[in-house]
Amino acid sequence: MKGYQRGLLVAGIAIAVSAVVRIRGQGRVPPTSGGWRELQGPDFR
Amino acid sequence: MTSVLVAGLGETGVRAARQLLDTPGIDRVVVAARTEARAREVAAALDDGAEAWALGASGEFPPGIDAVASAVPAAADLVLARAAVERGIPFASVTDDREVTSGLIALDAAARERGTRIVAGCGLAPGLADVLVRHAAGVLDSIDEIHVARFGVAGPACAAAARRAQREPVIEWYGGAAASVRNRGAELVWFPDPVGARECELVGTGVDLLAAATPGVERVTARLGMPAPRRLTAPGFRAVAGSRRRDPAVGFGAVRAEIWGWRGRERATVVYGVIERTSIAAGTVLGVATAWLAGALPDLGASGSGASGLATAVEPAPFLAELARRGVKAAVFEGVAVA
Repeated sequence: MKGYQRGLLVAGIAIAVSAVVRIRGQGRVPPTSGGWRELQGPDFR
Repeated sequence: MTSVLVAGLGETGVRAARQLLDTPGIDRVVVAARTEARAREVAAALDDGAEAWALGASGEFPPGIDAVASAVPAAADLVLARAAVERGIPFASVTDDREVTSGLIALDAAARERGTRIVAGCGLAPGLADVLVRHAAGVLDSIDEIHVARFGVAGPACAAAARRAQREPVIEWYGGAAASVRNRGAELVWFPDPVGARECELVGTGVDLLAAATPGVERVTARLGMPAPRRLTAPGFRAVAGSRRRDPAVGFGAVRAEIWGWRGRERATVVYGVIERTSIAAGTVLGVATAWLAGALPDLGASGSGASGLATAVEPAPFLAELARRGVKAAVFEGVAVA
């Protein structure tokens, strides 16, 4: 019974931490589909 | 009369001298090597009235020099920089050696006292990549993460410095301080073609300069990729099948700067890249920085004194425009994130 309660507690903490990370996380997904455009005059203003 | 000295006549130094000779407002370019014979040979090849000078161990300069462009091996850089500061001559260095760069920045107080300027890291990365990062500050409200990568080397001295950087401990900027990282974390980095995707390892090169140029940044990493060494074959034997195909990126250098931050309440990223022959790009950055220090390109930044990295010293937009005018063109990656 004690082991079962501990398991539940650990699972609860894991769910809470993952929820915080998911909500507050900044998601590092750089642009991967596209192309390079040379910087032109307006980019230098 | 505006005079500049180019010290160190490897591949980058020669290109920097060429750029300076082609800069209106620079009247005299003196090229200096360890031996007078080498200096004379380069001066003759450059033509356009370049003068030759032999570099002595004590760092003697020809009279009337307004700025020094240094492309000497890292070990000799600090001696030259100290000699320039003592004489109140502005000094630009192309070295990417972390220890030497720190030594140049440590001359800040002496440079201020003499009313002169030292600009460290005037190559691809550190150098051009740092200017691109500062340029990104114009399109983002705040920057908190910077990931810079460089591929390619200019000449034998540059290759030796790069190999040394890959052996030295990895340094990354994390949470407002430099921290050692155990894992070199080799990763594929996408540069503009023809370099394309290349494996680059974490290094400590230029991390301090980037952090200093971007106050408040949380994380800075620098990566370095080297071209594969040439395969040797015994005379009379053909290299194994496929190895005769020439790598299209041989001789090319590339930098990529990935900058993360906020635009309003939205998380945003900007990715800049540059591709050019390594020695041409590095030589052009060094040449333009030196021309600015000599007063020939006053629009590139405000005058002042002290020691800093290139990005802190110059104004990014006019500096990048001047490089583009000389053929070293930056590009922005326009795309969408695909998770």
